Amino acid sequence: MAAPLLSAALRGARGGRSFGTAAVLWKRAAPLGPMPNEDVDVGNLEELQRYRSFARYLRQVERAGREPRWWNTYRKHSDPPAEPQTDIGLPRERLSRAEELKERKRILRENRQNAEMERAARLRTVLIPLDEVRAEWERTSGPFHKQRVAKHCGVFRDLFKGATFTPWVALRVQYSQEDEHLVPVYYGNMVTPSEASSPPAVSYEADKGSLWTLLLTNPDGHLRDADSEYLHWLVTNIPGSDIKAGKEMCHYLPPFPAMGTGYHRFIFLLFKQHSPIDFSQDARPTPCYSLKMRTFSTFDFYRKHKDAMTPAGLAFFQCQWDSSVTSTFHQLLNMREPVFEFVRPPPYHPPQVKFPRHQPLRYLDRYRDTQEPTYGIY
Amino acid sequence: GVRFASTTASLRTETEVDTSENEVVAPNFTNRNPRNLEQMALARKERGWKTTWPKREFWHRLRLERTQHYVEAFVERSNGDVVVSASTREWAIKRHLYSPKGVAACRNLGRVISQRCLEAGINFVNFKAIIPWEHRCDSIQEFEKAVKEGGVVLHEPRRIYR
Repeated sequence: MAAPLLSAALRGARGGRSFGTAAVLWKRAAPLGPMPNEDVDVGNLEELQRYRSFARYLRQVERAGREPRWWNTYRKHSDPPAEPQTDIGLPRERLSRAEELKERKRILRENRQNAEMERAARLRTVLIPLDEVRAEWERTSGPFHKQRVAKHCGVFRDLFKGATFTPWVALRVQYSQEDEHLVPVYYGNMVTPSEASSPPAVSYEADKGSLWTLLLTNPDGHLRDADSEYLHWLVTNIPGSDIKAGKEMCHYLPPFPAMGTGYHRFIFLLFKQHSPIDFSQDARPTPCYSLKMRTFSTFDFYRKHKDAMTPAGLAFFQCQWDSSVTSTFHQLLNMREPVFEFVRPPPYHPPQVKFPRHQPLRYLDRYRDTQEPTYGIY
Repeated sequence: GVRFASTTASLRTETEVDTSENEVVAPNFTNRNPRNLEQMALARKERGWKTTWPKREFWHRLRLERTQHYVEAFVERSNGDVVVSASTREWAIKRHLYSPKGVAACRNLGRVISQRCLEAGINFVNFKAIIPWEHRCDSIQEFEKAVKEGGVVLHEPRRIYR
């Protein structure tokens, strides 16, 4: 009998090697959870609520597809379930919710009584002021949205090994160019290395007498070790929001993503200090162009000083190679420029079978070590 | 005199020691950035799901949800994770609108979400998950026009296979 016995398959877990098999499904047993559509009463179909429109059905389908199920799904296989994340950020300052709601309701009531707004909405000419919307968004739901985008760009996974924080402080970073043009850094936009060649103008709201630390790191660009980052800029003990008055532990080095490696993330982190901290261990010599000295780990750095500072602001940009990187490698880092090429992972083929069914002759080509194609040669 | 010569000599040896190790580079480079492959158009799109609709062959998709009371727009990945979202439920948008539903709301929502997408670095977005007969509605047409004018391209580049 080629079919493995159910008991043999289950015994595999105890001693000897176990193997995956569908033998469990050959035995009839109760399902491990509720079956779909079990809650629908098929007895009186006339009383069931109908969808009446495809849009309503589609919305329900999309929502049901996102729910976790007890049977194995592709979603469970591709994304592992998220572990509970530790929050290392500042606590949220909640103002009086009742007063906020009262104020908002008053504004909405005024809007609804405003005849001009009603006319503009009816004639579809209303255009909301985007900069005011953005300013209000930065104060209300901005930190949550930035945290979400940062999580999807893998910032927390690579810098803090999974611990997250909500960037309550809005960090405004702008690179100024020669023609008075400003290139802002938001949460993930593209900036070229030639635009980022000089230190940017950083501004944020800070109380008088508070101390901050600003850090620019590149978790993707390390040329020797994939798990460590390069430190591009470290300014510590900044009083208020005056970057120039802070102590620059590591001077600014322009980004140098190597050719062929694609897009690198350059992450600005703003830490709020509770007291003046001694960063002498992290001080780099003033012209520091040694990549070994610039090798950095944000996790170890934060763990060393975690009692005295908390992350409060976040901004990052994506950067790709351009011609100014060549001059950075040759002049500043004094090395030959490395050039990489994208190597595709080898294609997957299932284990070879002695009598393949319905396969073309090139089936043998897939498993041969040498390159001897059996087609296209005549 | 002698001291001067020795200081210059020591400075030179410092810079030599500093940058001589820069040349050592590992032959294999790993880029941990999860957005790298999709920005280079090399990442895989989920090509299955051909017998169902909407398909999942995209890196980012723009989904507009119009309910009775609000309008919401989400930019999400094929596994369902929302990356950027905008909704008339948010106070920042609601306070400037007369009504949080309707054509004017859709148009302004389009402007806001295109601004947020560009800030997040999402320049190409798939906008195929709309029901064909609903696509002709004024609100969805205005939304699409506003997103296009905002600078986001509504079709994703083809993946590079070779």
